[in-house]
Amino acid sequence: MGRAAILKSVKENKPTLVPLPKIDLNPFQENVDILETFKSNVKLVGGNIQELSQLSNIDSEVEKMYPNASEIISCIPESNLGTVSISEKTSPHELETVDLAIVKGEFGVAENGAVWISEEAVSTRVLPFISNDLVIILNKEDLCLHMHQAYKLISERKRNFGLFISGPSKTADIEQCLVIGAQGAMSLTVILT
Amino acid sequence: MSHSEKATIFNKNEAKVNWHNKALWFVREKRDTAAHKVKGWEYLRELASGIKANVLSNLDEYLVEFEKNALKKNIKVHWASSAEEHNAIVHKILADKKAKKVVKSKSMLTEECHLNSYLEEKGIEIIDTDLGERIVQLAKEPPSHIVLPAIHKTKEEVDELFQEHLGTTPSNGNPEYLTNEARKHLRQKFIEADAAITGVNFAIAETGGFVVCTNEGNADMGAHLAPVHIACMGIEKIIPKEEHLGVFLRLLARSATGQPITTYSSHFNTAAPGTEMHVVIVDNGRTEQLSREDFRSSLHCIRCGACMNTCPIYRRSGGHSYDTTIPGPIGSILSPGKDLKKHSSLPFASTLCGSCSNVCPVKINIHEQLYKWRQLVTKDVKQPFIKKSILKIAGIVLSKPKLFSLAGKSARFMLKYAPRFMVYSNLNAWGNARELPEVKNQNFDEWYKVKRKNHG
Repeated sequence: MGRAAILKSVKENKPTLVPLPKIDLNPFQENVDILETFKSNVKLVGGNIQELSQLSNIDSEVEKMYPNASEIISCIPESNLGTVSISEKTSPHELETVDLAIVKGEFGVAENGAVWISEEAVSTRVLPFISNDLVIILNKEDLCLHMHQAYKLISERKRNFGLFISGPSKTADIEQCLVIGAQGAMSLTVILT
Repeated sequence: MSHSEKATIFNKNEAKVNWHNKALWFVREKRDTAAHKVKGWEYLRELASGIKANVLSNLDEYLVEFEKNALKKNIKVHWASSAEEHNAIVHKILADKKAKKVVKSKSMLTEECHLNSYLEEKGIEIIDTDLGERIVQLAKEPPSHIVLPAIHKTKEEVDELFQEHLGTTPSNGNPEYLTNEARKHLRQKFIEADAAITGVNFAIAETGGFVVCTNEGNADMGAHLAPVHIACMGIEKIIPKEEHLGVFLRLLARSATGQPITTYSSHFNTAAPGTEMHVVIVDNGRTEQLSREDFRSSLHCIRCGACMNTCPIYRRSGGHSYDTTIPGPIGSILSPGKDLKKHSSLPFASTLCGSCSNVCPVKINIHEQLYKWRQLVTKDVKQPFIKKSILKIAGIVLSKPKLFSLAGKSARFMLKYAPRFMVYSNLNAWGNARELPEVKNQNFDEWYKVKRKNHG
């Protein structure tokens, strides 16, 4: 039963070996403005974009956008807005009432407005989902064109948990009406520095 | 009941069918817009198809490689030959942890195995956390679409369901209000859960990790809050290398809903400290499908639902008319492999227009496989007398030009002169719910001959 039976059956039933295709990146090469494409795609997927000239302005910008947030978790040294501190030891259940999380994005992907977030950047895996609103700080130099380049960028990472986030959580499960804010964050702002 | 009989029931509500048809076609159009924006889209599809063909031809090796790498990262790996074994394994993991409350994100595999009813019988509460799946779970119905599980429900119906089960106030089906109420209800379930079950979109042999894609964030809310995460996958979810995700994630959401990527694409490679991660690998008829040369490539499927959204039959018959876990064109080539007799009407639920094959991101020749299943069905399953005799007569008529011409003449004569009750009777399916075209005096052959004579 189980393992041995499945592997035996696959071996008996599989076709002769078909070679694995090599991915040629040339057909995907495009001459586009990566920054502008990224920004327009973040908006397309329901996110907000803010561009800052100085990293030091982050806090005033965030306060302007989320004036009612009281329980705030900041995972970046550049922000002093944090009112709740967390570590790897924090139980995810303690984060149920968090209003806002500010996290560092590793890089963004122009073709779909997604940002890669590593486990190291959020301390607790559930944070970017359970927080009512989410702010991602991203250096505008850290952008790539498409997902093939994205996977090159994370090929050497520590493999624990990580994710691409593209916009706030959403659903269209009731008569195909798009509603922003399903089970994860109700809004997403990408601040480009 | 056959597909056409169930489709007749769905078609009783004409307004709803029209809405269903248009809503899905709109998703198809969004898919087109998204696909056309990608440079090299057709090459992407070819790559995806090629990678999947390689996977099937080397599946045993990849499965072993996946297991080896997953174990290294402390992910526990289980193997199940059948739905029963799968359910028993999941239950044992839950029982060992004394888990009584479970949240589950979308997984067509667990639908296929009827995991929910199995666990409920053992006294375990299992909550579907995708909004569409929660809606159909409350309605005690199966999903009617693999990406849009509640597409057959109106917002007013959802409103009533939520009033009854979640105690909401009547809102005339306000989607924002209802979604927000569901959010509150599900948050409570996430916080209370003893274990979380998710599906798997892609499992990577090279790393032993897996990827789960959602828009709502429900898979992650479950998996990161509960102390135990069980991910269930069919054997065909394996891809060789992580770089192949670049190909599949570009195709999946665009083909499914026209989004450039799902909101969340989560990469699980090891459990968080203090928690457990399990993967259950399931066969349940897949290796049998692998043995069928003509139908093998149906296992390429990445469950995007594009073939359903584009299918003129699916759009007008609804997912429930297929009476299978996976409805639509892809379901109609997967299901006969499991039970040819039960699903014998499904390969005929198609116009063979080929639109499904054209939009399939992994290039499954769906309409050709539908045609091939028809050959097997007519050989193995008794066909209705009328269908058999009509096809036999048609065969004779079509093989004799004179007879064909006579048949055409009489049909035109009848259409023109026979009384309405005869033409639009039950014997003439073509007159059902539509006006037949005005009859010309000539057939094409006669018209062509006259034309040639007049113009040399």
